[in-house]
Amino acid sequence: MAAQEEILAKLKEAVVEYEEDDCADAAQEALDAGMDPMVAVMDGLAAGMEEVGVLFDTNEYFVPEVLMCADALYKGLDILRPHIKLDADIPKASVVIGSIQGDVHDIGKNLVKMMFDVAGWDVHDLGRDVPLESFVEKQLDVNSDVLAMSAMMTTTMMGMKKVIAMVKEKNPDCLIMLGGAPVTRDVANLFGADGYAESAGNAVSEGIKMIGRLREYQKGEIE
Amino acid sequence: MSELTGKERVQRLFKREPVDTMPCFSGQGAVVVQAIEKMGTQFAKIHTDARLMAESAITSAKIFNMDGIVIPYDMATVAEAMGRGISLYDGADGIIYPTVPNKWKTLDEIDIPKDYMSRGRLPMVDEAFKIIKDEAPDLGVGAWVLGPFTLAGQIMELDILLKGLKKKKDETAAFLDEVTKVTIDMCRHYQDLGVDFISVREMGSGTDLLSPRMWKTLIGPNLTKVFDSISIPCVNHICGSTDMIIEMMHGCGADALSVDQKNNVAETRKKLGNDVLIFGNFDPYNTLTQLEDMTQVEAIIKKCIDDGQDAIWPGCDIWPDIKAENMETYVRTVKEYGKKPSPAVGRI
Repeated sequence: MAAQEEILAKLKEAVVEYEEDDCADAAQEALDAGMDPMVAVMDGLAAGMEEVGVLFDTNEYFVPEVLMCADALYKGLDILRPHIKLDADIPKASVVIGSIQGDVHDIGKNLVKMMFDVAGWDVHDLGRDVPLESFVEKQLDVNSDVLAMSAMMTTTMMGMKKVIAMVKEKNPDCLIMLGGAPVTRDVANLFGADGYAESAGNAVSEGIKMIGRLREYQKGEIE
Repeated sequence: MSELTGKERVQRLFKREPVDTMPCFSGQGAVVVQAIEKMGTQFAKIHTDARLMAESAITSAKIFNMDGIVIPYDMATVAEAMGRGISLYDGADGIIYPTVPNKWKTLDEIDIPKDYMSRGRLPMVDEAFKIIKDEAPDLGVGAWVLGPFTLAGQIMELDILLKGLKKKKDETAAFLDEVTKVTIDMCRHYQDLGVDFISVREMGSGTDLLSPRMWKTLIGPNLTKVFDSISIPCVNHICGSTDMIIEMMHGCGADALSVDQKNNVAETRKKLGNDVLIFGNFDPYNTLTQLEDMTQVEAIIKKCIDDGQDAIWPGCDIWPDIKAENMETYVRTVKEYGKKPSPAVGRI
């Protein structure tokens, strides 16, 4: 039976090389070898995605490659996730996520969603072209820790401001993340959001970096 | 010589003949709320009615002393005509552009109707062009169409298309070839309607999304076919990151290049020389809706001119809810500071 390091390397390589079948096989191998599935997710799949982020930042990979890497990651995640044991004492974090009304783009949103999936959060994906009220209703309904909205175009960005005002009024503790091409730090501040990713490219890059931070967090390297 | 009309300025610019001052116009949407309010209508209504579309375009240009007009306003007209539906958001609060709700999900499903040109809102857009030509003969008239790749992303799911570029290269290339014919047909159609210029917006193809290699093999050749088919002035517009592909953009054969604020235009000018028309490249949202200090607006527009551009276009559609003072400062600065020759166009 392959050693843990060898299996982790296979998972990582399968993500980086966007080999979906290899990723599924390596995930099954991890389970068969009795490996902690959370380790396989974080140090195999997520580590692979971190490397993809480096390749993206250095212009070796572009969005088509990143999307295929994400597909490979999900093949492995679908196999590993049902075997991850949850700590009953720790409530599961949750996020409501979607692309704002008027925006039918969801690539950036789906990559950020992947980050939450990897971290094992409860993800309530509202999809794209989501009416403003639906974000507010869902957030209040599930009382999510985070509300994440994306707008690919300037012309749809303004809706975010209204949603933030509505949510913050009723639930000031909810963290709000904005992403998408027209969103700048200034816009995020102006709208009253707690975080942002400034472009489609940055949404990819930032989403992947957040995975890296989660890995560090899990290892106790950061609080 | 007496002052030129806006139309003359625009036409002479494209011919690289001397003008009295830099024309102020755009190949991206430039309808503004001040016009919509003056007409007593709503943003959601100007996309479906030829009279309202034409009048809002003319009024927007005339309120702010622009030299040209461009319609339509949204990027969904052709996809809608192909049966992909349309979301108009007529009940929504505020400004939301129409979108396409039902994109094809696989390459196998794609079936472009032969009579798409007579479907959806396309005949209405034709009618709006006729009204504009009749009622605003002194303004330059532009049409814009989506480039083949961006149009493909409007009629089929973008993530499937992007992955198809790698996974199903031949099938995706064949699909893009088919869509290229649509872009060419649309360009020829607007050319026959007598517009002064056509802006081909391949906005989804910058290097934020695609590699330069992919651009070279899958985007550039199709754009070249499009520009080869147009005999009136045409513009190759791409927003997002274009520094790595600007020479290839130039090689596609358009009369002018248009880029957004991510392009280093001073460098682009050095790379391409002084003969090519370059348009751009200010951030319309920040410049026209956010800034409160008009000296900052003026500085942004002056920098665009000093960087070596021949017309100062917004990098994207103007967000309609502009501040009037910012728009006035934009136009005034272009016309005053643009009295000096630009790299490709002299002055009278």
